[in-house]
Amino acid sequence: MIEVYRCFMKGGKIKPMQITRRDFMKFSGAAVGGLALGGLGFNLAPVEAQAQTLKIRWAKETTTICPYCAVGCGIIVHTSRDGSGKIINTEGDPDHPINQGSLCAKGAALYQLVTTESRIKRPLYRAPYSDKWVEMSWGQALSEIARRVKQSRDSSFTTTNAKGQVVNRTDGIAHVGSAALDNEECWALQTMMRALGLAYIEHQARI
Amino acid sequence: MADKSFFIDTTKCTACRGCQVACKQWNKLPATKTYNWGSFQNPADLSFSTFKLVRFREVESGGKVKWYFFPDQCRHCLEPPCKDTAEGFVDGAVIQDESTGAVIYTDKTRMLSSSNFEEVRQSCPYNIPRQDPGTGLISKCTMCFDRVGNGLLPACVKACPTGTMKFGDRGEILDMAKKRVAALQKKGFKKAQLLDADSIRAIFLVVDDPSIYYKFSVAQNDVGISRKLALRKLFRPATGLITGVAKL
Repeated sequence: MIEVYRCFMKGGKIKPMQITRRDFMKFSGAAVGGLALGGLGFNLAPVEAQAQTLKIRWAKETTTICPYCAVGCGIIVHTSRDGSGKIINTEGDPDHPINQGSLCAKGAALYQLVTTESRIKRPLYRAPYSDKWVEMSWGQALSEIARRVKQSRDSSFTTTNAKGQVVNRTDGIAHVGSAALDNEECWALQTMMRALGLAYIEHQARI
Repeated sequence: MADKSFFIDTTKCTACRGCQVACKQWNKLPATKTYNWGSFQNPADLSFSTFKLVRFREVESGGKVKWYFFPDQCRHCLEPPCKDTAEGFVDGAVIQDESTGAVIYTDKTRMLSSSNFEEVRQSCPYNIPRQDPGTGLISKCTMCFDRVGNGLLPACVKACPTGTMKFGDRGEILDMAKKRVAALQKKGFKKAQLLDADSIRAIFLVVDDPSIYYKFSVAQNDVGISRKLALRKLFRPATGLITGVAKL
């Protein structure tokens, strides 16, 4: 009887007055059960409550492809529906044929791609011989890149090689990347680079 | 829901640490500052914010380096000694989920002093519990009971790309583990064995002397139930009675 009181007091949810005869029998039996059930005083209610409210239960699910390597694993991104669109969780997509739900350490850390404080949100520019990075707007960065590509291409473009053969190429620019590109992006990039006359077109997986 | 268990087949582990990171991601645990301490194992040890850790051991044999990987975690003992110890100090600090068998450290672990914590840690045969020096909270693997309770796999098992980590009903997991041992022994891995399969819920399969992998790969005899703990267990019903009377 005392044991019964003890566990209800500790559990804190049910008041001693609410013990039914059946409960009483159950708990008395357990108390007699002895030392093995010494922890009878615990209340599983919080555990059950948490089990029922899975944090991704009401989240919006969006599928994406891992941006890190060329394997291209499928990932589900869980975001909140409350308007903030905050990412709650990212995990492998079990329906994706490539990874079938699994992920490596990098893919599993995708959540941090968005949330980390080290994330770079704006283009950074380091001038030649400078030791500092300076923030720059996208407009500025893109115009600067376009201007320099044009300048380098015009100054390094060769129409014929030493043997007099027509080559129409530039050796002044190289392109690197990327394992994270899909087929269509690769096609668009390749077309643009070839049109500019680049010969040095590389992929980061081979560097 | 039946009693659950993990099966961790170290022969398939490539130490990619997908499990380790997936655990951090699901539990929203902060990163640990790592440094080069002479091993690829990083962070160097489990902590209150690292519940899962792939342990690395490199051994030279016949002029070649041999890797031993051990994705360490709480074993969720069938009869957890840490629970007995913690209950000696604070009731409800450690609870065991009846449906899955998960051993769960609650918020009440904050009420344990650091010396209490040392006793809890020493009572763990696998050296798992860790205390947050700031908040006093003691934490470790939760078996992702929130996921499991909703029919999902634990985050580490879900992420594992090599099939090292398996999770399911205990009976099925034990069958699977025993079949794998038999298959490996047939292949010539004479030392293929399961570690403490009868008493824990995270069953490791190794193919060499378990102590090569990690000191606490199997339950250590020098920890476990100490004399002090045995005495306290003996006296606990009496103290329970006294508090009961006091409350009446």
